[in-house]
Amino acid sequence: MNRPAPPAAYLHGIYPRSEAVVAATRDLERGRVTSERVDEAYRADREAFLRAQRDAGLDFLSDGLLRWQDLFRPLVEGSKGMEARVLVRWFDNNSFYRAPELGPEGGTVLGEVPPWVLEDGIPEPQVASLPSPYLFSRVTLGGGDPDDVMLGLARDVLAPAAAMLAQSGHRLVHLEEPWIPYAGIDDGSWPALERAVATVREAASGAAVVMHTYYGDAAPHADRLRRLPVDAIGIDFVETPLDALPTPWESGLVAGCLDGRSSVLEDPGEVTAFVRRAADRLEPTALYVSSGSELELAGPEMAGRKLEVLGEVARQLREEAA
Amino acid sequence: MSAVRQAEASVLTRPLLTHELGSLAKPNWRVKAVAGSPIEDRDLEDARAWGERLDVEDHQELLELLRRAPLDRAGKDEVKRWSSRYGVRFLETVGLDVVYDGEQQRSEMYQWAVAHAEGFEWRGIVRAFDNKYYSKAAVTGPIGLREPYHDEEFAFVRDVARAELKVPITGAYTIADWSFDERYFTDTSFGAGTRAETRRAARRAFILDVARDLIRPNLDALISLGAGWLQIDEPGGSTDPEELDLFAESFNESVRGLDAVFSTHLCFSDYDLFFPGIEAMSQCRQFAVGFANYDSRDLGTGASDRPGYRVLPKFRDLPYGPVLGVGVLDIHTDFVEPPELVRDRVLHSVQVFDDPTRIHVIPDCGLRTRSWDVAFAKLRNLVAGVELAKRDLGLG
Repeated sequence: MNRPAPPAAYLHGIYPRSEAVVAATRDLERGRVTSERVDEAYRADREAFLRAQRDAGLDFLSDGLLRWQDLFRPLVEGSKGMEARVLVRWFDNNSFYRAPELGPEGGTVLGEVPPWVLEDGIPEPQVASLPSPYLFSRVTLGGGDPDDVMLGLARDVLAPAAAMLAQSGHRLVHLEEPWIPYAGIDDGSWPALERAVATVREAASGAAVVMHTYYGDAAPHADRLRRLPVDAIGIDFVETPLDALPTPWESGLVAGCLDGRSSVLEDPGEVTAFVRRAADRLEPTALYVSSGSELELAGPEMAGRKLEVLGEVARQLREEAA
Repeated sequence: MSAVRQAEASVLTRPLLTHELGSLAKPNWRVKAVAGSPIEDRDLEDARAWGERLDVEDHQELLELLRRAPLDRAGKDEVKRWSSRYGVRFLETVGLDVVYDGEQQRSEMYQWAVAHAEGFEWRGIVRAFDNKYYSKAAVTGPIGLREPYHDEEFAFVRDVARAELKVPITGAYTIADWSFDERYFTDTSFGAGTRAETRRAARRAFILDVARDLIRPNLDALISLGAGWLQIDEPGGSTDPEELDLFAESFNESVRGLDAVFSTHLCFSDYDLFFPGIEAMSQCRQFAVGFANYDSRDLGTGASDRPGYRVLPKFRDLPYGPVLGVGVLDIHTDFVEPPELVRDRVLHSVQVFDDPTRIHVIPDCGLRTRSWDVAFAKLRNLVAGVELAKRDLGLG
């Protein structure tokens, strides 16, 4: 047995907004409050989320992407040659994103992201979440060959963003990749994905880069996934049978072990036992524990309780590793 | 004559029939009065101005009522009915053939249904997109109908409306899909190979229980009151491509043994996914589908001009020949579609179907995210665009 120790726990992606932010953003749209009032609500939300992560003992802290309208919007709005207009369903959820859309020239360059993407005041080490190059290219409209779009987005948008985030204190860059397990990937696209991921990783100098799969069974793609040039591959064990994964894993593992779309609360002891079993079986080179999918769709109350479960799981795993 | 045949004869086969799809925004005076917030002068002015614009009879009584705010429960209910009356007149004034009340008496399409059901508990607010959210419940116990939840509303609207009516009702699949499940599938033993099969069986049981024990008795109650056309709204219908057979089964289970015209509303989906699943929905007389969100704003009636409508042939070829309600207004933008753009979207649809009696014209979805000014302008242009299309088609 070659269990990595200690595991690192964190939350990825968009965290649900509190009822106070919901009310403030609703009121802003109805012209009933000022944007300053909404900023205050966001600040309070972020502080509460940071406090909850610290209380739970998480190893990497996230700002929760609380202001992000979807996983792509700040990148799209910060880029020349791209806009977000058409509303598209976010996989099999009652949730939607505005699809990035390339202009007739087809290319895009990241200019300035909104300042709140790089907000300071978050204790290090921080984790940042970005769309993976594959996901980003598949949700993007226009631009021609999707693999060329992927390479262009990786080079001109994601790599600059990852570099900015690494320079601003983020020690972990988490790439969200639900598309591959949900919809699949052509064999011919793997080499382009490898190059795209390598581009992002190189730009994120000083930060570990992980690519996390969710919303589907990753096992059919696991052999190629584990060979990608990243520090760890994330697996959503809500959807993926452990025994279907190849061993040894030969990469780091993000064990996604909380259901981000369910209000049923996981038992920390059961989750700890599962992560231990996964680590024993796969022998990853590094081990992270997190949720399967991001917690936004669990709603604020259930997400808060799942955050506590994650903290307890991390504590139990740390005790065992000590 | 049965309700089905009456409705078919009167409206369903009318070429290029226009109708609304569901919700309109709730006026500030309605929101504030029901919430117990102070009514401001601009709210009163809004109620007055729209009352005059829509020719709402006796709307001065509403102004007097609003001036008495804060209101007791009876007063708040009266404000909701006024809002309902305004909604009916709004849709009639723009010139639609078939109307309802913009769902002014309901809280929200999901919340309203669940609030009148047994077996659910609220679990907080979840975002749908941007700054739009909904309250989400979990199923925790046996599902049932606490009380028919559209009867009072329908009786009121029936008495108020001058145009013909279609009652929108949230469908079983959407209610199940938008809910957490704390009853049918609670397994958290992750990583097991049999998990997916167990979860699917649990989903089926949940969805069909909602159809049989919540939706069907509610439909039955409405039909008893004289409702002839019931639109089952399923914005969640294509959420999971693996469950389209369950979606179709839930529709059939909802309407089994009932005598009325049933249609369904689908939106914001990859509509290709519905095929062949919806071939089983033979009791569905009309599909009302949003397309404009995906379409170009340029004029033209050819297939290449209308990229948002490329799936039309699949609806045309459904074996039971349903009518297609064609969405021609993007409800997520303030862009007001010119009549000529509406016309071209309609003409393209008629070309594909080669039968104007199988085409109805609608907004993509409910217009509740738009202001009344924008919604009014959009719907006015929808009606004007249909008139242009009729002229081109020689439909008088």
